[in-house]
Amino acid sequence: MAEFLMYFTNGLVIGVINAISAIGVSLIVGIMRVINFAHGELYIFAGYFSYHLSLTFGLSPILAMPLSVFFIFLIGILMERLLIRPTYGDEMYSLIITFVLSIVLQNSALLIFGPYPNKPPALISGSTQIFGLFHYGNQRLLSFGISIGILLFVFYLIKKTWFGKSVRAISQDREMASLMGIDHWRINMISFGLGAALAGSAGVIIAPIFPVTPTGSSAISLTAFVVVVLGGMGSLKGCVVGGLILGILENLGAAYVSTMYRHIFAFIILILVLVFRPWGLFGQKT
Amino acid sequence: MMKTWISLPLIFLLIFLPFFLSQYWLHVMIISLFYVMMASSWNLIAGYTGQISFAHAAFAGVGAYVSGMLAVNIGIPPWLGIFVGTFVASLLGVGLGYLCIRMGGIYLSLTTLGFSEILRIIITNEDRWTRGTMGLQIPGFFTEYSKMSYYFLFLIVSAVFLFILYRLIHSEMGLSFRAVLNDELAAASSGIDTIRVRILAFTISSAMAGMAGGLYGHYLMLITPDIPSLGQMFLVLAMAVIGGMGSFIGPILGAFVLEVLSEYIRIYGEYHVLLFGLVALGVARFAPEGMVGVIKKRWKVKESP
Repeated sequence: MAEFLMYFTNGLVIGVINAISAIGVSLIVGIMRVINFAHGELYIFAGYFSYHLSLTFGLSPILAMPLSVFFIFLIGILMERLLIRPTYGDEMYSLIITFVLSIVLQNSALLIFGPYPNKPPALISGSTQIFGLFHYGNQRLLSFGISIGILLFVFYLIKKTWFGKSVRAISQDREMASLMGIDHWRINMISFGLGAALAGSAGVIIAPIFPVTPTGSSAISLTAFVVVVLGGMGSLKGCVVGGLILGILENLGAAYVSTMYRHIFAFIILILVLVFRPWGLFGQKT
Repeated sequence: MMKTWISLPLIFLLIFLPFFLSQYWLHVMIISLFYVMMASSWNLIAGYTGQISFAHAAFAGVGAYVSGMLAVNIGIPPWLGIFVGTFVASLLGVGLGYLCIRMGGIYLSLTTLGFSEILRIIITNEDRWTRGTMGLQIPGFFTEYSKMSYYFLFLIVSAVFLFILYRLIHSEMGLSFRAVLNDELAAASSGIDTIRVRILAFTISSAMAGMAGGLYGHYLMLITPDIPSLGQMFLVLAMAVIGGMGSFIGPILGAFVLEVLSEYIRIYGEYHVLLFGLVALGVARFAPEGMVGVIKKRWKVKESP
């Protein structure tokens, strides 16, 4: 029982991190109908940045983490401005460009950071006993807390601020939104940066728990995509629920069925969703 | 008229060239022909119906592993095996196409990417059957190994593929492919079943990838999870994009140029993927019609000064 609960807790922790990563994808799909295939690479880069900022440049991990996310935000802005913007309205070219970019970034990561897994230092050490049942690493608990914080912040940003209102307006009807005086170029750019930053946040949060490797990025993208399809494209709530479902299923599956096939569970879920409910849990049936 | 003048000497060249090539360059030519099959058949869905599949290399892997494992485990001759591999690839193509295409292009890209990753994971982990990353040794087509025979086998199959693709593109069906690409709504309202057309194109192209993969596997005689990898997928995509998507010649040109170039770059290390990636980004961004588009533009400028 204690063992089951521990795997379940692992699932919850990974689940909220999945949710952050998936919201990054969902935000961009919702607004621009662009899937960022380089999502996993941005996630990996953030992990490497925080590793090198804290270990090579000696920054405190508390500073290294947000700084890495900020760098990824800037990379996202640049990507949108230089590569994605000219492809609006041409779905095919945006798919090609982000896929090629993912290969370029993956190979650059191999060249710059090397093929070995890197683990940035933990923020705290030790473990806490949970309900008197099992010991759980403090770093994981802290990661869980930070992730919840980020999720709350994103929900606040989208639901309560003017930026969020513009984002939602553009997702619903781009032309109408620009008629209402919303500068959609600016919103697109910032949203793309934000989507990238969310990938980066997930990366810096997970890196001290599971080290990042350049070759792990496709699986990360895939997880985020499955969560987005499961939750329903463009739905934030869907990302949270989908992220948790996938996190828990993958961890229980890895513990009780097979570790090798962790990602296969995600793919099976993707196929089941496409067969039975292609618009996802919270998506709109069109 | 113009076309015959160019293609006749080209055919002669392709037939007689191998007698003057070293074993090494003969190998490069065979690999190039494999990529011609891959890039041209990928171009059928991407260039002509606007759907991006990331499972083309995966389907080649299906072809190679199905045929290879049949030969190793129950002794089915490769000549028969590659047809079984092609059939399995086309079945998977119909399945994935049917599930995703009705939901739109994004779904097809996502799901094919997932399929590709999963296939690689399964092949790597089920090493009892596939020997994982060690690679599975499989028999070749010919009892007596000769690169020359493989060259002509690949040349003939490529020619058949190109002939089928050419006829498809210039048929009524090809017309509806392009109609779907240009204006889906207009195509649908003029009575074209856009989803069926796309699924059909996807299935044909997946089957071709399956057969190309089978041939490739039995030529190499050692198949590894690199065949269905995303890296391989990227090379095929880069060849089509750099050569010129949506044109018949583009992917053929791209396949030869990139494969020959990668042989030269390989001397300096494994940088060809990064370099091709950067070039493909530039091409997709600034010259979406690729090399063929650039050549055509030059041609026109010269014609009308």
